[in-house]
Amino acid sequence: MSQRRGPLEATLAFLDFFAAVLRCLVTGPHFWLETLRTMDILMRRCLIPVGLAVAPVGAVIALQGVGVFRMFGVEGLLSSMLATAIFRQYSPALASVMVAAQAGSSIAARIGTMKVRGQIDALAVMSVDPLRYVVVPGFIACLIIAPLLNVLTTALGLVSGWFFAVVLARVDHGAFVDNLYSQVTVTDLWIGLAKCTLFGGAIGLIAGFAGLRTVGGAAGVGRAANSTVVTTIIMILVIDYFISLLLLWLGV
Amino acid sequence: MPEPITAPAIELDGVSKAFGANKVLDDVSLTVRHGSIMVMLGPSGTGKSVLLRCLVGLLRPDAGRVLVYGEDVAALDESRPRDRARLFALRRRFGMLFQDGALFDDMDVGDNVAFPMRMHTDLSEAQIRAKVADKLRRVGLSGVERKAPSELSGGMRKRVAFARAIALEPDIVLCDEPSSGLDPVMSATLDELILELHRTLGMTFIVISHDTAEAKKIADTIGLLASGKLVTYGPAADVFAEGQPALRQFFERSTEGPIRVL
Repeated sequence: MSQRRGPLEATLAFLDFFAAVLRCLVTGPHFWLETLRTMDILMRRCLIPVGLAVAPVGAVIALQGVGVFRMFGVEGLLSSMLATAIFRQYSPALASVMVAAQAGSSIAARIGTMKVRGQIDALAVMSVDPLRYVVVPGFIACLIIAPLLNVLTTALGLVSGWFFAVVLARVDHGAFVDNLYSQVTVTDLWIGLAKCTLFGGAIGLIAGFAGLRTVGGAAGVGRAANSTVVTTIIMILVIDYFISLLLLWLGV
Repeated sequence: MPEPITAPAIELDGVSKAFGANKVLDDVSLTVRHGSIMVMLGPSGTGKSVLLRCLVGLLRPDAGRVLVYGEDVAALDESRPRDRARLFALRRRFGMLFQDGALFDDMDVGDNVAFPMRMHTDLSEAQIRAKVADKLRRVGLSGVERKAPSELSGGMRKRVAFARAIALEPDIVLCDEPSSGLDPVMSATLDELILELHRTLGMTFIVISHDTAEAKKIADTIGLLASGKLVTYGPAADVFAEGQPALRQFFERSTEGPIRVL
């Protein structure tokens, strides 16, 4: 059952797949219980790794910034930079990257395993559309948990930055809190959330696509999970750059 | 009383399927009577599984018609939404026992068997539990509902998969190599099971096998598929009496004959 699998074929197949998933979203039946279950599993898988990845970043920004800011006597403004960096860039990108690493790989591996063990065919023969039952729940779950995790990582990044700056580097607590929101607005939070939703959805889609195309047993499952993580992380970082560029150009 | 069904369950008409240059099914035509047990024999890699997959529309033949109670599955294109819905509706008439069971790993045995009922019926949880217990009893596995598929032996997994395949009491049950990988006693048990279900529930069985003893024991109709061609097909008694060379070679486990492997 050989198939030519060039990049063009893969792109066309992905667009086809995307259209089919959108069609499933618009028309019923929906498996909400399965969606909730998937969200629960993915949230548990992501929570601690995402936290562990983002917390040091706040501290590192504070660590790097505090010396320079102190040189100019404006260490009270450290929190402004910290908030801007975390709200707009680090938190959405890192939360999405960790969702790609944890949720993306887990979805691709689960669907890939089901594929190579004939369970996807079994679903189809039992008149349960695999797209609706396994792909759409993963897609919706990623779409929702990525921004949720972003809220958490934003908070965690600020707290860890505060801990380093105020507790360890002796920056004044009042100045830190006063200046925290001087440069960021609610728009920045929304932009971060929108980016995460976009990235989360893309992760869910790509993972489902890679999972359903898995061939070649256990090694194939590994390849599907691996290619999902690599593809999505590169995509996130590249698209994130262009979004930042676009937003700067628009002056948002 | 529902009217007795006289139309054939399955009709294949000139079905061909190739993967690249490899012709897996070559102009296969046959009819399966409603309520019969058809066993399709053949060496491994001769398109028996492909034949089953064409019946349920997992694969589309390159040519020919695949009629399931008169409706052509081969004409349905899964990528077209309306055809897809029709195909999923048609599949409700089938139960399928996959070669290695294809049970869902993340569900226990009870949930696996209950799955088709939860998806396609409005039965209450209590009714479903009762039906699951009944189906598991039929396959001789009472009380294993809470076990994970990974805790079971290969033979038990296959029987659970069997219970799942008959959960909705479908018109047609497809069995892909029910005896492969099982010891002789377990194979015989599975054969008895097919006969028992056939007797009590009146389902049509289409069994893919390379086990000649199994074919002799359960088949009403026997077919032999070799190199994509339907070499012989007909009522079991006639086929055995006819002494078709390929079939004889198959039964005698001989390397000499029309079927060439090396």
